[in-house]
Amino acid sequence: MFKSLFVFSLALISGCTTVVIDEYRRSDGELAAGDTVVILGRRHSSEYETEPDLIDCVGRELHDPARGVKVIPEKHFLDAMYPWFEPRTAPMHLRSLDRLLEIPNVRERMEAYGVKYIVWIDGSTETTASAGSIGCSIGTGGAGCFGFGTWDKESDYEASVWDFRDQELSGKLSADAKGTSYMPAIVVPIPLIARVQNNACKGMAAQLQQFLLPANGKS
Amino acid sequence: MEFSSNVFSRAARCLLLSAALLTTACSHTVQVDGEFPQPVGRQHPLTVGIYLSDEFSNFTHHEDSEDREEWNISTGRAQKNLFQTVLGSMFTETILLSSYPQNLPEDVELVIVPEVRELQFTMPRETRVNIFEVWIKYDMHAYNPQGESVANWVITAYGKTPTAFLKSQEDALAQAINVALRDAGATLFTGFEQVPELQALLANKRRALSMKQNESAEEQPAD
Repeated sequence: MFKSLFVFSLALISGCTTVVIDEYRRSDGELAAGDTVVILGRRHSSEYETEPDLIDCVGRELHDPARGVKVIPEKHFLDAMYPWFEPRTAPMHLRSLDRLLEIPNVRERMEAYGVKYIVWIDGSTETTASAGSIGCSIGTGGAGCFGFGTWDKESDYEASVWDFRDQELSGKLSADAKGTSYMPAIVVPIPLIARVQNNACKGMAAQLQQFLLPANGKS
Repeated sequence: MEFSSNVFSRAARCLLLSAALLTTACSHTVQVDGEFPQPVGRQHPLTVGIYLSDEFSNFTHHEDSEDREEWNISTGRAQKNLFQTVLGSMFTETILLSSYPQNLPEDVELVIVPEVRELQFTMPRETRVNIFEVWIKYDMHAYNPQGESVANWVITAYGKTPTAFLKSQEDALAQAINVALRDAGATLFTGFEQVPELQALLANKRRALSMKQNESAEEQPAD
């Protein structure tokens, strides 16, 4: 009884993450059969970097060909369009994208990929606070740890959705996630990790799916 | 006496072993092996010779200062791949030169010779930011078939990678260098035509090609 209560309470504590998604929409989703979506991370800031694994995660969660959402993996797209979407050369505004499409080879390749939406994700996940300490010792009788550690993580991401074909900003999404991880150690350390970045990713992917698909659900 | 010499030799061995261990623990070797994509874009109408010297193709950055542990960073192979791939896609025809200025093929209109001027990097514990950063500066030289300098310009490249769980410093730095090399390729590809002397050279070449096309069109009898 005590054991199950202990495990249950641990499971409850480990799920301690809150995610807030905001949306600003300028036009309805128009993703049709054969259209593709590109999810790219902004990497122009020198202080942080939008994590490639976050971009992969959103892409994986969003990719659902059965519902008509086909996502081109970031690395594949960046290599195919090299050097036009590198941190230094990537278009920061729709006007710059327009100029980029004046290069015939670039336009042809984008059209060959059937790109309808380009989603730019900017932000990062950071550890904002940490407290506690854990001490471990080893002796002839065995080894063990004792103590308690805790740390807070915050994710702050903004996604801008560009309609490539209509050359307009379709809207913006923001995802703010917060969570606290715990590590009690009674002989063995037990990590109770709050999956802050992962929850932000899932929240954004779910919202993006609603955003990109037509309101009546037909693709 | 025999006892003390044995003890001395054991102690010396231990000392040597620990010194060797300490030395290897403080020395880092990074081998960067990057593969880079072929750029997409307009090709310049030139036949270009590319000379990548042995020094460039085997470049190793060595750093051993008081503030830092010893680092040997070999970027030669990766930067050779990058310059071959990018320059190979930039022009209608490129010829990789094994020597320069000797044995220059007759049809070469321009020879490009890159050199590494500088490589710098920072580690997360130095900047207190959780990213590895790399800066590379290249001196680019362009010569005409007679060996006279046509243009000299500088390419600066920047790369960074966040610290990752269970990733070694060497792997993280190699990744940041690959990002910097991609950036160098992007700058080379997009900035070539911004160099005034090269802009003029390309304009002359396009004008000559256009005149040639017009002349051949006029020579053809009308239907």
